[in-house]
Amino acid sequence: MRSLVPAALKLRLLSGFKRFDPDRAVVAAEFDAAWYLQAYPDIAKARVDPLAHFMAFGWKEGRDPNPRFSVREYLNEYPEVARAGVNPFVHFLKSGGEGSRAPRPDLGFRYDVIARLVPVEDRLAQAARASDAVRPGAGLAGALGPIGRRQLHVTFSHDDYTANVGGVQLALQREAAGVAAQGRDHLHLHPATPWPMLRTDEPAALGVVWNGQALGVFAAEAVAEALRAAAPARPGERSFAIHSLLGHSVDEVLAILAAAGLSEGFFWLHDFASLCAGYHLLRNDVEDCAAPPPDSAACGICLYGPWRGRHLSEHERLFRRLKLTVVAPSQPTLDLWRASWDFPVAGTLVHPHARLRSRGAAPAPPAGRPFRLAYAGLPAAHKGWPVFRDLALRLADDPRYEFLHLGLRSTPGLPVRFVEVAAGPENPRAMQQALEAAEADAVLVWPLCRETFSFVAYEAVAAGCAVITGPDSGNVAAFVRDGGHGAVLDEAALAEAFESGEVLKLGRATRRPALYDLDFGALTADLLPEGTPA
Amino acid sequence: MKVLVYSSFTFSYLNRARVLYQTLRRFHPDWELVALITDRPPEGFAFDPAAEPFDRVVWAEDLGIPDFQGWLFKHDVVEVCTAVKGPFIHQACSSGADAVIYLDPDTALLGSLDPLVEWLQDHDILLTPHLIDPNDDLTAILDNDLSASRTGIFNLGFVAIRTTGEGARFAKWWNDRLLSFCYDDMPNGLFVDQRWCDHVPALFDKVKVIRDPGYNVASWNLSTRTVAVEKDGRITVNGAPLRFWHFTKLGPLGDTMTKRYAGRNFPVYEIWAWYKRLVAEATDAAIPERWWAYGAYDDGAPIEKAERVLYRQRGDLQAAYPNPFAAGPGSFREWLQTEGA
Repeated sequence: MRSLVPAALKLRLLSGFKRFDPDRAVVAAEFDAAWYLQAYPDIAKARVDPLAHFMAFGWKEGRDPNPRFSVREYLNEYPEVARAGVNPFVHFLKSGGEGSRAPRPDLGFRYDVIARLVPVEDRLAQAARASDAVRPGAGLAGALGPIGRRQLHVTFSHDDYTANVGGVQLALQREAAGVAAQGRDHLHLHPATPWPMLRTDEPAALGVVWNGQALGVFAAEAVAEALRAAAPARPGERSFAIHSLLGHSVDEVLAILAAAGLSEGFFWLHDFASLCAGYHLLRNDVEDCAAPPPDSAACGICLYGPWRGRHLSEHERLFRRLKLTVVAPSQPTLDLWRASWDFPVAGTLVHPHARLRSRGAAPAPPAGRPFRLAYAGLPAAHKGWPVFRDLALRLADDPRYEFLHLGLRSTPGLPVRFVEVAAGPENPRAMQQALEAAEADAVLVWPLCRETFSFVAYEAVAAGCAVITGPDSGNVAAFVRDGGHGAVLDEAALAEAFESGEVLKLGRATRRPALYDLDFGALTADLLPEGTPA
Repeated sequence: MKVLVYSSFTFSYLNRARVLYQTLRRFHPDWELVALITDRPPEGFAFDPAAEPFDRVVWAEDLGIPDFQGWLFKHDVVEVCTAVKGPFIHQACSSGADAVIYLDPDTALLGSLDPLVEWLQDHDILLTPHLIDPNDDLTAILDNDLSASRTGIFNLGFVAIRTTGEGARFAKWWNDRLLSFCYDDMPNGLFVDQRWCDHVPALFDKVKVIRDPGYNVASWNLSTRTVAVEKDGRITVNGAPLRFWHFTKLGPLGDTMTKRYAGRNFPVYEIWAWYKRLVAEATDAAIPERWWAYGAYDDGAPIEKAERVLYRQRGDLQAAYPNPFAAGPGSFREWLQTEGA
């Protein structure tokens, strides 16, 4: 349907349309060319005039002229327009004055998320296909060397923390650096390919990272064998931490730990995978569920409901077989986890990934400047981007406000100033510095799911920004409430605070905030008795 | 209380009915679940009632309806699947059950129906109105209030009765009316079984009109009902526990009406997405879409609605052609092609 083969021919035809299409001028005023090219990369690649393309072909292919008008929704809502075979955007613009037709029904972004839900079975099948394509290697025992003489730390997580970017990966890098400084060898195990949940009967190979170096992909049994082969007569101190069981099998984890002579260790609550296969506790990817009873009506309608039992029973088996101390990066995380399920634990701890250290007052901003609301990071629905986007669109012409997006890639077609920020292992403070330089008054940190620990919230406060968040944001809401770092509002109150101007109280000029440095923790390395180099 | 639940459908609705019975079994494993089918399985589909989520099947042709083939021919698929509800509920009153509940095949339970049993201690007939709150918005009045005025105050996707007293009297009356007057003929005051039940509060005692928003939630009443999913896992409608949903018109039309009235009330879309997943899982590719064994003459030619109406209106044709499905010499079909044309 969206073939680009006749693009050159279309281009010639389109130049003719430019002269003769009387509706073009009507549409031109509302057409968003930059957004169109960003939304439809094939059009950008074909180098055709986006407006001419929309007028001649785009609307017939279900492409939208701007982010506010949905061709498909309009035709669904007004079937007589579909039957007439006319351009729905032209129809809307010409009849819009009547006021009875909406450009698209106001269904909210959650409608779109629900409409795009992919069944968990399909995700699992896709993960299995990707995993089947991986062939495990041989010769791991030789690669590990004689670890028996040394102290050893084993970690499990959902991916290779040295190769992927993210909050947990950065935290694991600090743990790796910490245990290295303590003189421990570090064996990190992760599924070779991503999985949406923990495995039971599904076979898969494990990626092995040895002291920060990826050694390759091996069968779990080969890992256990290598550990057994390296077993010394007199082992050094050994420890382990489970950061995530996504993509792991409990049987494999138990076998590997047994081979390493380990049974007491740490279990981190970076997410809620121990409570549900929907590890964000985001029912149908749209609303925090708070892990209600598995036989509840809410779990009954949830995409993840049928898979919850797998995660509960497998984690229960893990907790029964091992002596696990549960570590949460925030108190609300631990509280919810304890209230939701009764796992047998050896102990519990709260150990934040970062703490604020004051470095004096922020400079006062110039008087009379609009209130700057920033969004930091990936523009994803589960991080609350649509809430920010809708606010920016609604208040685009309000001189009291200015909207900023700090991140890797801009989203064109919005009344939002983009600031490129590339945070990574080499510059972990990039976001904090960018927020400070931009003198954002507040950052909208609006995760749909409860965060176990939000680096963005800490970075925002360290940069002198207030944090505005929703009631379901877990650690963010607790951090904001406990520290007086901003406001916790529901979506209706958020809109009202901006309409009324109540939110202006959070401006830098009124708050006169402090600036902070962030002292990052080293996770499990902070919890181990300090090792001695071999 | 011994409770019997039945639904009435053809094989093209087996997928939806399976979902209904699965949800009934989940919440009420002790209730007897009966499938009332006015159809025959399509070739290539191996129908195994023992593997289905209901306890037994009753075929419409076994209900003892006089001149069954001629009677059936007078109805289209919706009319006849509705009409057989009457004879079944009447006969079920002497089956040993204390209460009988009818649910449309496109309904599904999202909560327990135990309160029905409580209400049936004091009432003999339970009905759910299309609307329990009036609309103020013009579009909603046109779509919903006036629609209910035309098609019936109560939605007969649900009815529950005691099998004695006024319940049994209702069942006999409904049986009698539906055997003779279960047509989609709004100009004459008929919309299958529904307009009849406008009379129920006048004709019978011990009737309860269920004004609880958790029952029979559907696109036609979403304009006045808000669905919420609570942190403790309950699903509520205007604060009351959600009991059952009526997923009427699975497809673009149902989607449009649902979106028009649900707006940003996103749990509604979660519930629809859940239902569509279950229906997809329960769908057997061996059943052709829109399959109905009684939709064609014996030679395979489709039966037009006008032909059914003609047959319905002409006593002489009914007498001359007691099996109007037949094809070939001396058949109603032949008469249509020659004299009826």
